[in-house]
Amino acid sequence: MTGNSSPQHFGPDELDGWLAGVRTPELGRHLNECSDCLELVRTEEALIARLGALPLYAPRADFSDRVMASVYIPDPFAIRSLQAARRRLFASRKSIAIAAMLALVLLGSMTASAAWTLAHRDTLLGAGNWLASESARWAWVGLRGAALNLIEQPWFSGFRSLVDAPGRLALASAAMSLMYVSGILALRRLLAIPTQRVAHANS
Amino acid sequence: MAPRADLAGRSDQDIVALARAGEEAAYRELIRRYERPLFSLLYRMVRDRELAEDLAQETFVKALNAIESYRPEYKFSSWIFKIANNAAIDHLRRRELDTLSLEGSPHAETPEAVQATALQIGDRHESPLDEVEARELGGQIEQAIARLRPEYRSCILLRHVEGRAYEEIAEILNLPLGTVKTYIHRARNELRQALAHLRE
Repeated sequence: MTGNSSPQHFGPDELDGWLAGVRTPELGRHLNECSDCLELVRTEEALIARLGALPLYAPRADFSDRVMASVYIPDPFAIRSLQAARRRLFASRKSIAIAAMLALVLLGSMTASAAWTLAHRDTLLGAGNWLASESARWAWVGLRGAALNLIEQPWFSGFRSLVDAPGRLALASAAMSLMYVSGILALRRLLAIPTQRVAHANS
Repeated sequence: MAPRADLAGRSDQDIVALARAGEEAAYRELIRRYERPLFSLLYRMVRDRELAEDLAQETFVKALNAIESYRPEYKFSSWIFKIANNAAIDHLRRRELDTLSLEGSPHAETPEAVQATALQIGDRHESPLDEVEARELGGQIEQAIARLRPEYRSCILLRHVEGRAYEEIAEILNLPLGTVKTYIHRARNELRQALAHLRE
């Protein structure tokens, strides 16, 4: 230390603080008294100024186009889940290999299934006939059960007498249509956007 | 598509939001904003124009294709500088380069390749004399930076060339704040010593 009466030299923190503009009177006093620290500060300031003045270099003019050629821009109208699946699928060689293997397994099983079908047509035909006859039988039993259940209902005789008289049937239909239209209109009114401004408490 | 003039005044976060919505102009704006800083950092890190361009391109492609995974609570600049720095460090680990050539890539084999890989100083308006002086001073300091350890080099470039805060540098380099400060001090000490002969 040359010509210094102050006990403490600038450490990294004091130096950083001084360079960043934190200039306390104590640091200022020390700099006035310590030529070593003053020299250090001046050298650092010059170095930082020199570093800050270094030029920015530019890549070639077509850099942006070259980057954009490899960038995938998402389509806001595409289905996100499909996009994500496609991106995941082609994300790496491993995922492509797994997808190819799955496709191969799927294709193989479909081919095997088609070959088995062609070789066992009689068996398949017999099974198909049995399935069709059983389905028809169960459908008929179900329909019959439902019809019997309907006839047994207490309101069925009233409904039947209404259907027998066309005048009353027309009246009932008109009443129900009127109720339906009224309901729709009421719903539209409820859901309409208010056209008048809402009054505020202080207005 | 929003015109470019509209995008210039917007924040990075706004531009990223537009990019996520599929605006191509937003992608181009992000490239325009960061191509020079990123390329300059990478060039000074790897000291080869062609390679720096490849790494810068790789950085942008990686960042822009993963824009959906970017978290807006962090600074976009920190995120993209982190990707670039990782690319440079990965490369430097694979291959050691030792000299900086202002005249062209050391790997260039023909005069055309040398010309194509030579440093192109940005568009600062200088007189011919200033330009020569700037080139000389730039050359001295560039070579001194080139001799720093890669970790010191990243820190000093981000701090004093890019003007990033210590905290941001710590985030970019994934280092503790104290380590970043130490690296920057050591780097400045080494630079001071390397450039001591220039001082009167």
